[in-house]
Amino acid sequence: MTALRHPAIAIGGGLVLGMVAIALLAPWLGTIDPTQIAPAARTRAPSAEHWFGTDMLGRDLYSRVLYGTRVSLVVGFTVALLTSAIGTAIGLTSGALPRLDDIIMRVMDGIMSVPPILLAIALMTLTRGSIGNVIIAITFAEAPRMSRIVRGVVLVLREQSYVDAAITAGSPTPVILWRHVLPNALAPIIVQASYVSASAMIVEAILSFLGAGTPTSTPSWGNIMAEGRSLWQVKPFIVFFPAVFLSLAVFAVNLLGDGLRDALDPRVAKKA
Amino acid sequence: MAILEVEGLKVHFRTGAEAVRAVDDVSFSLVRGETLAIVGESGSGKSVTANAVMRLLPRAQTRVAGAIRFDGRDLMALPERSMAQLRGDRIGMVFQEPMTSLNPVLSIGTQITETLRRHKGLTMRAALDRAVEMLAAVGISEPGRRIAEYPHQLSGGMRQRVMIAIAICCDPDILIADEPTTALDVTIQAQILDLLAELKRRTGTSIIFITHDLGVVAEIADRILVMYAGRKIEESATSDLFEQPMHPYTRGLLASMPRLRGGSDAGPARLHEIPGLIPLQSFGAAGCNFAERCVRAEAVCRENSPPPLLVRPGHMSACHFSDIGTASS
Amino acid sequence: MRHYVLRRVIATAPVVLIVALFVFSLLYLAPGDPAAIIAGDQATAADLERIRHTLGFDRPFLVRFGDWLWQIAQGDFGTSIFTNMPVMKMIGQRVEPTLSLMAITMIIAVAVAVPTGVVAAVNANSVLDRAIMTCGVLGFSIPIFVVGYLLAYLFALRLNWLPVQGYTPLSEGVGPWLANLLLPSLALGSANIALIARTTRSAMLEVLNQDYIRTARAKGIGQMRILFLHALKNAAIPILTVVGISVALLIGGAVVTETVFAIPGIGRLTVDAVLRRDYPVIQAVVFLFSVVYVLVNLTIDLLYTLVDPRVRY
Repeated sequence: MTALRHPAIAIGGGLVLGMVAIALLAPWLGTIDPTQIAPAARTRAPSAEHWFGTDMLGRDLYSRVLYGTRVSLVVGFTVALLTSAIGTAIGLTSGALPRLDDIIMRVMDGIMSVPPILLAIALMTLTRGSIGNVIIAITFAEAPRMSRIVRGVVLVLREQSYVDAAITAGSPTPVILWRHVLPNALAPIIVQASYVSASAMIVEAILSFLGAGTPTSTPSWGNIMAEGRSLWQVKPFIVFFPAVFLSLAVFAVNLLGDGLRDALDPRVAKKA
Repeated sequence: MAILEVEGLKVHFRTGAEAVRAVDDVSFSLVRGETLAIVGESGSGKSVTANAVMRLLPRAQTRVAGAIRFDGRDLMALPERSMAQLRGDRIGMVFQEPMTSLNPVLSIGTQITETLRRHKGLTMRAALDRAVEMLAAVGISEPGRRIAEYPHQLSGGMRQRVMIAIAICCDPDILIADEPTTALDVTIQAQILDLLAELKRRTGTSIIFITHDLGVVAEIADRILVMYAGRKIEESATSDLFEQPMHPYTRGLLASMPRLRGGSDAGPARLHEIPGLIPLQSFGAAGCNFAERCVRAEAVCRENSPPPLLVRPGHMSACHFSDIGTASS
Repeated sequence: MRHYVLRRVIATAPVVLIVALFVFSLLYLAPGDPAAIIAGDQATAADLERIRHTLGFDRPFLVRFGDWLWQIAQGDFGTSIFTNMPVMKMIGQRVEPTLSLMAITMIIAVAVAVPTGVVAAVNANSVLDRAIMTCGVLGFSIPIFVVGYLLAYLFALRLNWLPVQGYTPLSEGVGPWLANLLLPSLALGSANIALIARTTRSAMLEVLNQDYIRTARAKGIGQMRILFLHALKNAAIPILTVVGISVALLIGGAVVTETVFAIPGIGRLTVDAVLRRDYPVIQAVVFLFSVVYVLVNLTIDLLYTLVDPRVRY
């Protein structure tokens, strides 16, 4: 019943769960070792033996693409989590302390003026390539926007009379934030977190595609496509399969985010 | 000679599974040069009637039936393009909310001249001149300066004057004013009413004036049509209505008007009221739709819809007991 | 009105300063030792020292920052670690392709997205509307480089209508210039088109419900004029806002698009610099693009006043 009323959540959520299942069950879905090199079977087109074909080192693309799901999901989820935590912390602080608010928000604006991919690229230039560093770089780029959203909620709630009452009653600020502000901020945080994870997956893929992201020892959709770059005009399948998976994953998360937004936004929910 | 004839107008809105008969078989005509007031409380269907004449009702989930003849032409049969040509040119309309009825990002001048240029084909120069004339005619000071200003720079009363200017700038045959003074304070209200009376005197435009306030129409209306829950329940010349109201609802309305001097030596009188609001089931009721709230209702009222009785020449009332009515204060 | 313009312009200065500070600080914020990473695993102690000196690690932060600002103000963005050429010169050589790409992309994006959004709003909740909105989510989800490869595969490789890759300078004719830029612009703009169309639709829906639209209809104004003047002008503010945000997407996406379509622009320069860990180039590119973004936002702020007279105070 709920699924019918919110097709976006049902379809998006379903696809996401599907992806999670693939990531967790990869070893048992007909895959072989994704790092196993077989020079004799280089760049074979998709066949019964290699469902997605093989890459320039003879590695089975089907296995690599399926294992690549793990990287994207881990990055997407972790960035969303970290961004939410850090963004919320900064947003709450900024909203609750007007004297610091101006400075903090100016710094956030400054950071947001740097296009996210460039920021991530700059940080990756300066660090060793690894999934961890990719996560840190993307979190850096996305946290300011989250902090702005949370701060916005705090500012609105500050005007509400029940918050005023709590302040007058002498409740310490952290308690007010925890009990009154946070529950109201939860909906926008969740919605934004879903968009952030979609964005994170794209940025990781782009970084890996450019050679500045996940090191090639771990297959990720981005670096599989990077490896297939030089051959794409003659062997497009190397680029094709990870591209489809990436698009599907991002589409699923965006759809889920849209659905959550429509379900959680009181104005829209009332109409539905 | 009738400039507008409305025959058997029905407007049904579909909400969910049900259909509400917002306007239920209403007929009236408007003679050239006369001012007709349509009076009723909120939800009586008076605004819907006006919007139906202009064919401005939403298309979704709405059914309109009946005939609306303007200068002999059936408006219901016109294609949208032709209707759009009539609107603003031969029939003008003024709405209730002056604060939101003007486009905030277009200048006053643009909003007047575009009507003139669309319907009269004037050049920009000629249209601007006429616009300034119109602003002066509706009593706006420094019209030359106001032309370049934007709605947010004007007060509510001034915006309503601009709305009127826009509605009459092409010399329409009919001006429909849908509660034009309801959102304004009393002093401005009086000014707007004076303005309308003056315009009527000068140009002979026919006016349909929609309101819930009987006090307002006493001054400017030639005839009054009272609506209740989508039906016409009384219609007569103004003086006749005030002197000898026939329908219990009309009597109730008149009695509810606050008077400066009421009551007796015992003290100020309690304000008379008709209890309750229009109940939903009154729309499209089998019998008299006022029966629920009528102090005189009897069994026949609930069973049979009262026919429109011509109590006197030019005075009709839809009540089973119309001819037994006595004037009460 | 002049006050508003002046205030906005003046307010931009501190933002640029903070951006400069932030971009400069990245060096210090990166986890690990950047100098070692840049120098590479094969570096000798002497190399490491040289890198540390180039990056300015041997001097106090503020001094170095001040120097850097002073140099930037004079247009000196340092020297590339890899090529030893002045960074500014390297960037200058690559400006035209990137600027062309971004300009064409924005023009196409707005020209396609706004009317689409209007159509969707006018036909709200119809099959057409839902179809447009679903395309929108797809456009936003499919990463730029995937769209790029798809378009190139279909229109260049298979159908042979357009060149697969490369760039033709404007000086060699508008036709060839556009031919090379069409596919990359569509790819780069796909996410932007989706975003702008969505915003146009929701802004228009809200506007079309307003009383003043009813007034316009009561005046007998034609449907086209009502949509594109009466309604759109009111919807313009959120649309302009999202156009500004699109530019940020554009800048990031240019890097990828230039790679897919082998366009010799600043994006390609950046990619090469990343692989070679040529930080002065990266730093310059990041700073310059950020300033461009800040200026774009300033322009949008000023455009608001053209559209909505209430914003002038």
